[in-house]
Amino acid sequence: MSKIIVMTSGKGGVGKTTSSAAFATGLALRGFKTVVIDFDVGLRNLDLVMGCERRVVFDFINVINGEAKLNQALIKDKRIENLYILPTSQTRDKDALTREGVEKVLNELSKDFDYILCDSPAGIERGALMSLYFADHAIIVTNPEVSSVRDSDRILGVLNSRSRRAEQGLEPVTQQLLLTRYDPERVEKGEMLKVDDVLEILAIPLLGVIPESQAVLRASNVGMPVILDEVSNAGLAYSDAVGRFLGEDIEHRFVTPQKKGLFSRLLRRSA
Amino acid sequence: MSIFNFFRAAPRASAVQAKERLQIVMAHERAGRSGPDYLPMLQQELLAVIAKYVNIDENKVEVKLDRGGDCSTLEVNIELPAREQAKAAAAAKTAEKSAGNDVGAAKRPAGGAVGNGGAKKRI
Ligand SMILES: Nc1ncnc2c1ncn2[C@@H]1O[C@H](COP(=O)(O)OP(=O)(O)O)[C@@H](O)[C@H]1O
Ligand SMILES: [Mg+2]
Repeated sequence: MSKIIVMTSGKGGVGKTTSSAAFATGLALRGFKTVVIDFDVGLRNLDLVMGCERRVVFDFINVINGEAKLNQALIKDKRIENLYILPTSQTRDKDALTREGVEKVLNELSKDFDYILCDSPAGIERGALMSLYFADHAIIVTNPEVSSVRDSDRILGVLNSRSRRAEQGLEPVTQQLLLTRYDPERVEKGEMLKVDDVLEILAIPLLGVIPESQAVLRASNVGMPVILDEVSNAGLAYSDAVGRFLGEDIEHRFVTPQKKGLFSRLLRRSA
Repeated sequence: MSIFNFFRAAPRASAVQAKERLQIVMAHERAGRSGPDYLPMLQQELLAVIAKYVNIDENKVEVKLDRGGDCSTLEVNIELPAREQAKAAAAAKTAEKSAGNDVGAAKRPAGGAVGNGGAKKRI
């Protein structure tokens, strides 16, 4: 039986797709057979971030409609063993996502995969609801910014009332916070919400803090999940977050401004 | 900019790769927007023709596409069932071989009906 994870946020542009690509890759790197599904019907983007856009033949909606077999729509990652992408349709709309259709595909994937990661679209309508409905675990992607925090709270409410687990009175969907685009220098200057502020407001456990990083744009330019950029702070932070998700005890890094270099470090130490 | 930076940035800056990738994928998307998505139908018709001659397992049909700037390739691999006698004769030995027995493989550049032109074609 596989575990179903949803990467969700309510708000758009906060880093769900970036995080889905990184997380799926991280799980596969640790040996888990993982598939990442794009639920953003009509606005396909995960394929670009994963670098497989030229290889999309069939998609999630084709499989739901019985126009293609699941194994024909799944794209095997060329770099990482155990990693698969299920792209979405670029031409249909979210109504194509029926609950029965989604369930059928997830059930079939369950037989084969350890983790199924659902990349949610923005909003709290059909696409977002379908992506979270069957989830066992939710990763709430939030930016340290007022509207993002409020939208995350809305999504937590939806998870607690409209997910399958909620409707059937099962054990609730686990909820963890992934705070992304965090800029410690602005936090220090008092210009940005602190990790602790966000945690206090949302009151869910912290999975990780991903710093604002130029590596993210570079990675998406070339179609490589940023977690594969092992010298970038963002890549390392995602890697830590995957470790924590799997139960490892890893200290949070990149939450305070980086020391400026050896010289200033020496100065600091002697001070 | 130092010489070191110059050489490092020159070959294929990530922004250049971003632009190339977008041009290729979007040319295909724009071309496809006017017509119906023909791939599901193409596949069904192909399979129907082949099924007239041999039994095929729909789960053993692999379709691969590589969209390029000037030319795309569509590759359809259909695994044909091993003959009954052959199966009985060399049980263990052929197990792997028969999986690669894709006589129905059709590999073709897609200038025409199968793919949608090059990056420069706009509709
Ligand atoms: N840690 C980060 N540092 C800098 N830019 C980021 C970071 N995370 C995401 N981004 C950028 O934010 C934008 C939106 O990210 P995306 O993952 O597409 O969000 P969503 O899927 O939630 O809409 C993208 O341009 C992405 O490159
Ligand atoms: Mg997205």
